[in-house]
Amino acid sequence: MPTPMRIKRFSLLDRVFHFFLMLTFLIQTVTGFSRTFNATVWGKKLSYLFGGYENTFLVHKWVGALMIAGFLIHTAYLLTRIQWHNLGKSIFGPDSLVPNFHDFKHLWQRILWFFGMGSPPKLERWSYWEKFDYFAVYWGLPLLAITGLMAIYPLATSRILPGWSLNIAVFLHRAEAVLAVSYIFVVHFFIGHLRPASFPMNEAMFTGSVDLEEAMHEKPAWVQRLKDEGKLETVEGPSSAPWFRVLYFVFGYAVVIFGVYMLINGIIYSRYIALH
Amino acid sequence: MRMNNRNCGVLHLIGILLLSVFLMTPEPVSAQEEVASAIRRYKEYEASTGYYEEYEVLPRRQQPFVDIVGVKRNIFSYSSSSAQVRVRTRLADSHWGIKFYNRRRCEDCHIRETHDFHTTRANLTCRQCHGGEPIASINHYFSPMNPIRRHAYVCAKCHEGASASYATYIVHEPPAGSTLARETFPILYYAYWFMLVLLVGTLAFFIPHSLLVGLRELFKNKR
Repeated sequence: MPTPMRIKRFSLLDRVFHFFLMLTFLIQTVTGFSRTFNATVWGKKLSYLFGGYENTFLVHKWVGALMIAGFLIHTAYLLTRIQWHNLGKSIFGPDSLVPNFHDFKHLWQRILWFFGMGSPPKLERWSYWEKFDYFAVYWGLPLLAITGLMAIYPLATSRILPGWSLNIAVFLHRAEAVLAVSYIFVVHFFIGHLRPASFPMNEAMFTGSVDLEEAMHEKPAWVQRLKDEGKLETVEGPSSAPWFRVLYFVFGYAVVIFGVYMLINGIIYSRYIALH
Repeated sequence: MRMNNRNCGVLHLIGILLLSVFLMTPEPVSAQEEVASAIRRYKEYEASTGYYEEYEVLPRRQQPFVDIVGVKRNIFSYSSSSAQVRVRTRLADSHWGIKFYNRRRCEDCHIRETHDFHTTRANLTCRQCHGGEPIASINHYFSPMNPIRRHAYVCAKCHEGASASYATYIVHEPPAGSTLARETFPILYYAYWFMLVLLVGTLAFFIPHSLLVGLRELFKNKR
């Protein structure tokens, strides 16, 4: 039996960014929910985790500042990844996360495939839903950052904008948070954990590599391109050390349970607060 | 005789003790103490302790009207004479002419105004911003709530440095998706519908999409 071959998908830096985003996102979820639901028993309990309402707000602000820093660092990193002498291909090429014409074609092919009316699309390195995941965060983060900063510094804001813009900012902050939380805890978790191809867990974001066989099924155009260009570098052996696998399985499932808990309680207790 | 004298002294002592107890302890009151005066609503007590309306108890009979089941009666009858008290944005006493006013609490009528951040999060009571009785109408010329001086007289009590622009923040904002918001705060209304369409659209696309992917892969594996 040949040992399974693996190919690299995420660099160490990509995984660090993802892990950082996971942690900060989860903290912002708890602290944000505890503030939103503070008029309910559940919201009060959540705020006790961080030492009460005021401390929760403090944590929310500082973790928000960390996220802004992460966003800026990530953007600086993106700028270093652009090949300026080859701009068009580097932005719309297959290794870029920017959506292009092929994504719409793949989406249409996939819808046909759902109903047995065609073969699955030959996906490149990043599929259209992975690109959507990425840009959902990439536009959501600045929106949350700007509206959050407006709410933290209302006096400074009212010097530049009319004071009623704070009503809009606070509303947008909350609405975008609800959107992000419901998307991540429903769609992203389903894609990463529950769908048959990745059940019990899609390990690529933690190990950095994917199984070659699997990649040939999931992303055939990517593997083909790497072969054609002679860049297909495979690594033999298992994905990660057993202790590391145990670690990220426990972590991953803790996060899933936490997300579902937050979402269900959020739905239950939303009756008792004025959400908008 | 000797016994009597001693008894007399003991009785005197008990009498003095009882008298001093009555004099030194506060007078007994019933638990359901009513606030009869709208003008002196424990104002001194509130101002000295910083606790507002904590000790205000409703009268035992809450509803002075005879209720008809299923019919909600308003405090104003629909007559030409009562119409003049319904338009009250420029009165010196905005609650002028309201029946049984000093037996009512603010939230009996202004229920929506108790659901905003200032009330639910900062734990403010109405009077901390709107002041004591009589509460002048928002647009009355001498009202502290008049937009020409609201920032200095009301907002700046907590938000040091509040400007006139700052005071245009709408504390009692209308529900974002309501027709009231469309009329009074259209940007909030359109922001609401934009975000709602985005949220519902995203989930309505990606949840069935993910489920179909799951189903398709499930059947592929079974084959």
